Amino acid sequence: MTTTALEHELKEMIIETLELEDVTPADIDPDEPLFVEGLGLDSIDALELGLALQKRYGITLESDAESSRQHFANLRSLAALVEARRVS
Amino acid sequence: MTELFVEEWRGWTPHRDAAGEARLDTSAKPAGTAIPSMLRRRLNLIGRAVCDMLIALDPAAKLDVLHASRHGDGERTLEMLYAIDAGEPLSPARFGLSVHNAIIGVYSIASGNRRSQQAVAASGAEWAALMAEAQGYLSDGTERLLVVFGDQPVPARFADFAPHTPAAAVALVLSTTPAPGTRRLAVSAAPEADGEALQPLDVIDWLMQRRGPLSCPLAGRTWTLAPDA
Repeated sequence: MTTTALEHELKEMIIETLELEDVTPADIDPDEPLFVEGLGLDSIDALELGLALQKRYGITLESDAESSRQHFANLRSLAALVEARRVS
Repeated sequence: MTELFVEEWRGWTPHRDAAGEARLDTSAKPAGTAIPSMLRRRLNLIGRAVCDMLIALDPAAKLDVLHASRHGDGERTLEMLYAIDAGEPLSPARFGLSVHNAIIGVYSIASGNRRSQQAVAASGAEWAALMAEAQGYLSDGTERLLVVFGDQPVPARFADFAPHTPAAAVALVLSTTPAPGTRRLAVSAAPEADGEALQPLDVIDWLMQRRGPLSCPLAGRTWTLAPDA
């Protein structure tokens, strides 16, 4: 599967926001988990990412753990969230 | 009072010449290689240096850690106040790393050291406070422990309100028993002591025998290093 422009944009946002100094966009597999496994992000990263989504796309996540878990599962689900909910 | 001995030490500062002293790292950006990259990304320069030094001094990660800093992470702490004032949301990661025990917290996660850890700030009497705390731990049955003292400049817009603290950090293993190579840390009263508050750079100079005794004007005490005869 190819990477869409939005997915690439999100990869760059993740790397920049979370200061992933040793990671390049090519290292992030869109289908691999972002948290714990795969990229190995943690709970503070989740909060940081939520803030970045709010700043850049105007998306406010509901404080519902289950839906956040689905949105943050991997890069594709994150892109789907931004596609569906972005304000601008 | 329990006698203290300096068993080993490490230092970091880009403001001195190591002159062949392998214990002193003078790189502008400490490697931080003792810490996995996913943890290292959250550390500032001094954090990288401190973690590397602690792991080098205590590879088994079994010693208590006393950590002192006058300003802590002024960059993150003070700049967050401006963000609040501007009505901007706070970065959770920066908030988490702004607390005074943040660096030793990251060190604990990376090294697996689950021993007691303490973070100290003492308005310029950090070295005296560290020694008093160390004395307490060592008198209470602990045989060896790690003490670390680090500071960096405060953000430019606060520079007029705080003493200049050049980037430097120093970590020592203190023990209660002399051994080959240890140096006795003698303390004496210094009622006349005056001058500037002690900084990590002073402690590095002292360990490298580039200056005389360390005097803390606030605590009225002086520390001298003597070979363990």
